[in-house]
Amino acid sequence: MAQVKSQTKVLTANRLRNGETVYYTPAGTWSLYVTEAKVSTTPEEAEALAKIGADAYAANQVIDVAVIDVAPGSEVKPTHIREVIRATGPTVRTDLNKPVAPPQR
Amino acid sequence: MYIYDQFDHTITRERVAEFSQQVVRRLIGELSEDQFRPLRLMNGLYLQLHAYMLRVAVPYGTLSSKQLHKLADIAKKYDRDYAHFTTRQNLQYNWIKLEQVPDLLAELASVEMHANQTSGNCIRNVTADQFAGVAGDEVEDPRIISEVIRQWSTFHPEFSFLPRKFKFALTGAAKDRAAIQFHDIGIQIVKNDAGEIGYAIYVGGGMGRTPVVAPLIKPFVARSELLSYLEACLRVYNLHGRRDNMYKARIKILVRDLGPAEYARQVEEMWPMTRAAGVDVPASEVARIEAFFVPPVYEKIAEPVASFVAAKAKSSAFARWVETNVHPHKAAGYGAVTISLKPIGGIPGDASSAQMHAIADLADAYSLGEVRVTHVQNVVLPNVKQTDLFAVWQKLGEIGFADGNIGLVTDIIACPGLDYCSLANARSIPVAQKLSTWFGDLDRQHNIGPLQIKISGCINACGHHHAGHIGILGVDKAGVEFYQITLGGAGDEKASIGQLLGPGFAGEDIVGAVDKVVNTYLDLRQSPAETFIEAYRRVGPTPFKESLYGRR
Ligand code: SF4
Repeated sequence: MAQVKSQTKVLTANRLRNGETVYYTPAGTWSLYVTEAKVSTTPEEAEALAKIGADAYAANQVIDVAVIDVAPGSEVKPTHIREVIRATGPTVRTDLNKPVAPPQR
Repeated sequence: MYIYDQFDHTITRERVAEFSQQVVRRLIGELSEDQFRPLRLMNGLYLQLHAYMLRVAVPYGTLSSKQLHKLADIAKKYDRDYAHFTTRQNLQYNWIKLEQVPDLLAELASVEMHANQTSGNCIRNVTADQFAGVAGDEVEDPRIISEVIRQWSTFHPEFSFLPRKFKFALTGAAKDRAAIQFHDIGIQIVKNDAGEIGYAIYVGGGMGRTPVVAPLIKPFVARSELLSYLEACLRVYNLHGRRDNMYKARIKILVRDLGPAEYARQVEEMWPMTRAAGVDVPASEVARIEAFFVPPVYEKIAEPVASFVAAKAKSSAFARWVETNVHPHKAAGYGAVTISLKPIGGIPGDASSAQMHAIADLADAYSLGEVRVTHVQNVVLPNVKQTDLFAVWQKLGEIGFADGNIGLVTDIIACPGLDYCSLANARSIPVAQKLSTWFGDLDRQHNIGPLQIKISGCINACGHHHAGHIGILGVDKAGVEFYQITLGGAGDEKASIGQLLGPGFAGEDIVGAVDKVVNTYLDLRQSPAETFIEAYRRVGPTPFKESLYGRR
């Protein structure tokens, strides 16, 4: 069965300075937490995210920029195992993992 | 051990200064990522899934205790308190910050270490038999020529932009513990009929997408002409290698396409030119390097060593550990200890900074300050007196590294895989952990006997799956991790490439599948003395296929 391409997407990258995995937020910042990511739901919005990513790359803020699929729903969750692992950390060192959402302040 | 001379110090220092400047220019935006990427790769700095990764060169797998202490300090200060030993006998840090790399490299340089030639299309860090200099069966210590090759290849302008990366491995013994036939150039040190020492040259081996066992190109090259011969080998490759196609750019494709005989002919044709260019090192320079590898003065100890014999008699667990983890030493009364970085259920090749410090302390106390890294992701104390083996074993127990499983089914190679690696299709480490736990019972491991499982998270084959008696390759099947099984690979002097058995298995089924393969072997072996690989070579894949997929 062909996979249904997800329409919900977020923009992710690694911060240039320290390599941290980050997500582009609705506030125009980069967050460590995938649940804070700005979600696009249409191809046009996804294209806009890609453009933001390309600009941030050109501005030397981030590298390895990608627009990735997330599952539709209230909590932002990547669909592909690679991105699930990127969002939290190695599955074999859960002691080093970060939460998907920022700790309650 | 080799100790840097003024020249080594200068080029290392200059390289650190140069790259530090490049990092600064990158951080302030003077260099774009496109400009910076090749520069950082030349300095062993990759970007992985969660952070930058720095691969530190451990030339031919030899470390001093001082260096290992420093590597541990760096793990604590710049990483998350651990590091990973690789199948290239190197060490990787997983959580590196670009802005800290200059300081980190300066600290490495303070103990004569660096991350040069651990990436990029150059001659990579040379690997060698981990028992170099201490194995009873060697013709010559391979570290001498490894060091000559290191010096020749370091920043060599002609070979810094090869069509693809280029890897050397050396063995000084007929028993190949360095998988030389899976390297771009593998060198076996040999003696000819006249009793002279020389080098047998294998060219065009490799793993990856197209695994090839290197053919023997030249059975004997004299020491005095080795470098000019190697330079001729490289030059033919540099001229004809397929720069147009990354997948065809390794020398193995060139040797295959030309045919080994034609490749060898072209090298012979090139050789007079490199010889005339004066590449070969004068005997005096080799002698200077050789002097660094003069064996230490060993105590005269008569065997059998009574306390050692008594300790084995008293503790069967110790005796078993000795059986698998202590290799015969050329000096009577000594042994070479392989410390298993494969605790049951653990992560192959990972060590915390505390564990690294403890190993370095053991090296100081019991192994003349020397440590080796093996391509099987273990660590060796090469010079331990038999009287000290029991104490070493007990101290290893305190840091969780006393497993007596070297060469057995739980001594698994696993690449970082999808837990860290940006190129991965599937995770490797959890598969290794599950298999290790499943086969953890030591009686069962001994019953199964020598068996090498090697796992890669993608076709790049850093986990050497092609050379595994049982190889496991992670693939991505429509976004889900799947694992293919190959059987019959071997990375020793009888090198062979594992054959794919059939369709892959889901993550939850892979342990069961490997268990079936192992049980099939146990059922069909002629006696416990017939090892897995021997049995496989006798019966072929059919019984294993039938047990996994049924009769078709
Ligand atoms: S084999 Fe593939 S997944 Fe494993 S470390 Fe190499 S590139 Fe990464």
